[in-house]
Amino acid sequence: MISVTPPKEIIKRALSEDRLKLLEHEAFELARHYGIPIPDVYLVKTPKEAYDLADSIGYPIALKIVSPDIVHKSDVGGVKLHLNSREEVARAFNEMLKTVSSRVPSARIVGVLMYREARQGLEVIVGGLRDSVFGAAVMFGLGGVFVEVFRDVSFRIAPITLDDALEMISEIQSKQILEGYRGQKPVDKRALADIVVKTSKIMLENEEIDSIDLNPVMAYDNGAMVVDVRAILRKVPY
Amino acid sequence: MNTSLEKLFNPASVAIVGATPKEGKVGRAILENFINRFRGRIYPVNPSYSEVLGLKCYKSISELPETPDLVVIAIPAPGVPAVLREAAARGVSAAIVISGGFRETGTPEGERLERELEEISRTYGIRIVGPNCIGIYDNWSGVDTYFVSKMKRPPRGYVGFISQSGAFAAALMDWMAYHNLGVSRAISYGNKVDVDDVDLLDYLGDDDKTRVILIYIEGLKPGRGRKFIEVAKKVVKKKPILVYKAGKTSRGGLAAASHTAAMAGEYGVYRAAFKQAGVIEVESFDEMMDAVRIFLHQPSMRGNRVYILTDAGGIGVMLTDALTSVGLEVPRTPSDLKEELKRILPPHCIVENPIDLTGDTDDERYIRVLDVLVEKPYVDAIVVVALPQVPGIKGTFVDHVVKLKSEYEKTIVALTIGSEASLEVARRLEENSVTVFESPERLAKALKALYTYSMIKSRGD
Repeated sequence: MISVTPPKEIIKRALSEDRLKLLEHEAFELARHYGIPIPDVYLVKTPKEAYDLADSIGYPIALKIVSPDIVHKSDVGGVKLHLNSREEVARAFNEMLKTVSSRVPSARIVGVLMYREARQGLEVIVGGLRDSVFGAAVMFGLGGVFVEVFRDVSFRIAPITLDDALEMISEIQSKQILEGYRGQKPVDKRALADIVVKTSKIMLENEEIDSIDLNPVMAYDNGAMVVDVRAILRKVPY
Repeated sequence: MNTSLEKLFNPASVAIVGATPKEGKVGRAILENFINRFRGRIYPVNPSYSEVLGLKCYKSISELPETPDLVVIAIPAPGVPAVLREAAARGVSAAIVISGGFRETGTPEGERLERELEEISRTYGIRIVGPNCIGIYDNWSGVDTYFVSKMKRPPRGYVGFISQSGAFAAALMDWMAYHNLGVSRAISYGNKVDVDDVDLLDYLGDDDKTRVILIYIEGLKPGRGRKFIEVAKKVVKKKPILVYKAGKTSRGGLAAASHTAAMAGEYGVYRAAFKQAGVIEVESFDEMMDAVRIFLHQPSMRGNRVYILTDAGGIGVMLTDALTSVGLEVPRTPSDLKEELKRILPPHCIVENPIDLTGDTDDERYIRVLDVLVEKPYVDAIVVVALPQVPGIKGTFVDHVVKLKSEYEKTIVALTIGSEASLEVARRLEENSVTVFESPERLAKALKALYTYSMIKSRGD
């Protein structure tokens, strides 16, 4: 599993290497440090390592290339999903390294991120940002078309309480969807609110973070799971 | 109390730098304003004159017989820092810089001059409103740097206004004068090199003469957001703050590195901040002024249950739609109230809310039902639809509405639609603190603002 490095260290290291975007496993570590539910994430370096770990992680497994030089991973073959055996995992690993190194020969490869795919839930997005007037703020919205087309999101200035977060969640236009539709159960709003509160804490305690996306977050009728974390740093804290 | 601003609003003496007898000049308009209304001592300052409009004119601040409480500066920008430094060195603690030609020009020279003002303010602690502003219109002290001579001055009253736009401030004062709405103090701070929205909000929050605060804002100074929320939270416990945020479009063009940053835009974050601060956001000029009127004259609402009393069924339905769609409730009439109303009304009247007295009503039916409704604790607001076109209405019910409004701590508003007769009813009601609207939708929005503020005021934190 990924190591538990304190957030300050992760950030310091990234900045010292001139990286303004945390690597996937670093961003996951950061989230985990604040108690945000993420999958058990492993950074593996060789197909053998991946092969040996697969059974204990459980299936389906996802692999993602980790490199400071690759922004759009799937465009260069850096993402492999729905792998259902250790053989598949090892094969996918080899393929991935081959494709990536042929498409982006100059890319530095840190390793491959390996984790059990989260069960599909209702996709939501939680974010943190730093506003020049108000400082740290958080965002909540439904994923996919709701956020991209309708911009149906709500904000709060940090710090916030769990009640603030719950209010913020119920503020979006399409909140009906959270209540369950077409026979689906309502999602666990408390679990989502908890993630929003923790995101506000990340923003308040780490001045160097410019913004953070937890996108998507899978919302279930009981609990929630963050599937992807993206954290952007800034150089001069003001 | 934000005492450091006190001398901006209540000076005992004022120096007007750039005062001139020349017609059409800003320095003359401001001097005239002070001569007309200000009761303290006035010192024109201008090296070219020994007398201006009958007052002895001084060559410089240093030459004045006393240190003035306030200095108003209306001279070309390059000369401003020297005057300000001279004033500050003499111990002046408040200044209004009307002059333009600073940061707003986008030139390095303007930028440099503004930084100089900033530095003088920091070094000497002198509080500066401006530059590039129309400054302060104070209806109680007579401080009036609004150099717009054609603007009618609104009567003394209780609306305080903070505006990022000078032209809008002047237009609004003119509009309020025309509508006989009273103003306490109106401030337009221009480039806000020192005194900003937050300082002014704090000041008006503590000001006894201000009962409703109106803010027109384009953007706060960077880093001032949290202080704004903190001050607003404190102020809304005492009086409502209405804010109109201009520039709602997002930062758009900025290539944001993350999804969240791209979504944020400026407005989303402001909206959240207003909500967290307990500030009521209005989205149009109509909404703003409707809310001002309702806040000036109506008590808080204890809940959101609205009862409608009408002589026109159609208006009752329109109002029900409008009120419901803003989140207010038009409850069904409870059965005991139904019985009570049936006893005092002819059988063809409708006792279900909206209570419809029908087109053959007289004043008496209004009076009887109002007497019942006003006593009910579950009636949070009464909307009286007063269409005087029906033949049976003579107008005595208007006096009764006024009487009940003054005797009870109950929200009572009215809706009138029509020409002379209707306007006459509206005038009589308005003059007696019963807020009147012409449109069901505008009435609903204003009532919603009152309800929202009532809830904010009553909350614990």
